[in-house]
Amino acid sequence: MNKRLALPLALMAVFGMAGCTAGSGDAGGGTPELLIWVDSVREPAAKAYQESVKGDVDVTVEVIDTAELLTKISLFNTTGSGWPDVVFAGGPNDVAILADPSNGYAANLSETVDESVFKSYDGANDWCLIDGDYYCLKNDLAQSVLWYDAVVFEELGLTVPTTMEEFATEAMKLEGTGYVAGAIGDQNYYASYLWPSGCPMAAADDSTTVRIDPDAEECTRVADLVQPLVDAGVLDTRSSFDAGFLADVAQAGKVAMTFGPSWFGEFVLRPESSWAIPEGHVAAAPMPIWDGNDQAYSGEWGGGIWMASSHSKFPDAAADAVTYLATDPELLADSVTFPGSGPAFEAWAERVGSDPYYASSPVPAMVQQATLINPSEKPVRYDIQGQVGAVLQTEINAGTPVAEATRKFQESLIQLAPGSGYKVTQ
Amino acid sequence: MARSRIKRMSALSGSLMFAPYLILLVAFGVVPVVMAFFTALKPSMVNPAGGFLNYLVVIQDFRFLPALTNVATFLVIYVPLMVLVVAAMSLLLDAIRSRWTVPLRAAYIVPASISGAVAILVWYFMLEPTYSPYGDLLRAVGITEGSQIWNTGNLVWIFVLMAFFTGAGNWIIVQYGSLQSISDDILEAARIDGANAFQIGLQIKLPLIRRYLIYMSILTFAAGLQIFVEPYLISSTVYPGLADNWSLNQLSYSFAFQSGNLGASAALSLMLLVICIIAALIAIFRTDFFEEARPTTKRSKKAARAAMPAGSAI
Repeated sequence: MNKRLALPLALMAVFGMAGCTAGSGDAGGGTPELLIWVDSVREPAAKAYQESVKGDVDVTVEVIDTAELLTKISLFNTTGSGWPDVVFAGGPNDVAILADPSNGYAANLSETVDESVFKSYDGANDWCLIDGDYYCLKNDLAQSVLWYDAVVFEELGLTVPTTMEEFATEAMKLEGTGYVAGAIGDQNYYASYLWPSGCPMAAADDSTTVRIDPDAEECTRVADLVQPLVDAGVLDTRSSFDAGFLADVAQAGKVAMTFGPSWFGEFVLRPESSWAIPEGHVAAAPMPIWDGNDQAYSGEWGGGIWMASSHSKFPDAAADAVTYLATDPELLADSVTFPGSGPAFEAWAERVGSDPYYASSPVPAMVQQATLINPSEKPVRYDIQGQVGAVLQTEINAGTPVAEATRKFQESLIQLAPGSGYKVTQ
Repeated sequence: MARSRIKRMSALSGSLMFAPYLILLVAFGVVPVVMAFFTALKPSMVNPAGGFLNYLVVIQDFRFLPALTNVATFLVIYVPLMVLVVAAMSLLLDAIRSRWTVPLRAAYIVPASISGAVAILVWYFMLEPTYSPYGDLLRAVGITEGSQIWNTGNLVWIFVLMAFFTGAGNWIIVQYGSLQSISDDILEAARIDGANAFQIGLQIKLPLIRRYLIYMSILTFAAGLQIFVEPYLISSTVYPGLADNWSLNQLSYSFAFQSGNLGASAALSLMLLVICIIAALIAIFRTDFFEEARPTTKRSKKAARAAMPAGSAI
């Protein structure tokens, strides 16, 4: 038997050992011990926590690839031991899987964390609310805003759009100038177009029913608006991270505006190795409103979460760690992402808002959108991010008409959802 | 009496020699398969009753048929390509008996050091017009954007390329080893009979290493059927989702860790195992792979002994 066969089989052997469950046991006396799993970006934060509780809590920090979080947790679920006490998840959807009784990893934080913590930033933690209880705390909000180049806007005489029709009109003015209104060939099309519009893709009513409707007007109108812009060459069908897009468009200063999450400024537009937009150009405006929506909603691209283990021997210590990591002002002031808690946010806003890099402070637009993330989308147990990549992005990159790409994407979700225990309605 | 004692002794020593392998086979081959068999009956959200229905769940999954098609296409291209090119290259290498043979052999092994994660990076940079050292060449044939190469239609060719360059070099050396063991007497006799180099290669050498080519095709088939690393890595790094659930093994992985459906995952793994075993059995029993060497093929038996250690190291 060859080696490549041996590995999956050995893995299956691990699955088989479900019989022996360890149980959570009693906390007992002694110093509480916590194992914290983070990605490399969050490692300094976890280390800071480790330092701050030195002597009281024995903290071990391990850096993992958060893409493997679900894999590792389900292996521990099968072996019945080994779970980390606190985890950071880069995919906010993970809470739906980990909090589900079929998995049972995520602890109900409503039992251990003070109510005021969840409310520390208006509605930010509603994402973590499952059947009336909180199962995670948001590390950051990734609400979409309209990023624009103030210098280019002035040169070309563009105005900042407040409705999506205006956005299309302004974008169309870029035709033939070499400038673009962003790129849609990645998760941005999902997070900054479909989600704000309210297109049902993960509109879970409860833990067993989800609405996915390719024919909903909130979906079809997005493609109708975007397709002419693609045809006119003012919306790029590559990813915002595509090497070619970076070299030909972004680094050449040819992005007049783009929708993007709140972390785009610090993480995508600014760094030399990324879009490298020079100082004094970048500004942010609130999202334009879709005709018929009651609010100018955002979507979210990312927005990590912290969770505690329901198997932890020290549930209170784990809850304290989660609270600290998600809310500590000192810790989050320096992060590239928009903190999901009030006091931390204020320190962060002070730093970013006064940064001379920006043509004007992007903070007001972010603040406005922070409470306007369209609540129609919910965490779901099927891998919606995976399908965005596998279908939506792949089709758009390949030049498929946007309406067709969107439909294929939603149809793949309709096929995927029942496997995770959902009944799909339209 | 003495004869039966010798027989007993040789049976005993045979068993002793086989024991270490048997232990490993049971521990890491048989036990996992049995466990997988029982895991494959477990209930899941989509099939709360569990049982053999899990196999149906797998086959009816909307990702199953595309993944099966992908892997089948991959195998149809990859396995014959490997056999043909490896046979041709090793015959050529064997034909050149000069001072260049040693450095040439080394050169064949070099690409094999680029495997898995590294291969993804290397091929990404080679095929991405912005970064590629052959960027001008790519643009000259009209490829200006990465997505013109990195799209779903081309994936099978890209994975064949990766797998081929990773695996071919090693196999060329192995098959060269088996060619080395062909007796000079035979080749000499052929030459005296007036065979040219081409005829010797095709009609003398090739038939003598045939069973090692079969052995190789079984292993490349099994490895190819389980393709996982290349599509998994490309989907989780440079082109998110591009080859998501592209292969059957990826689908098995998704069942286990995205849908928490260990039953379906194990069922699919077992199906792959069965296909592998059937393919191996066909290759073994429809050919003379395991037949005792007859007097006429005495020399190929010798070749077998020479080539086996090299082959089993792969």
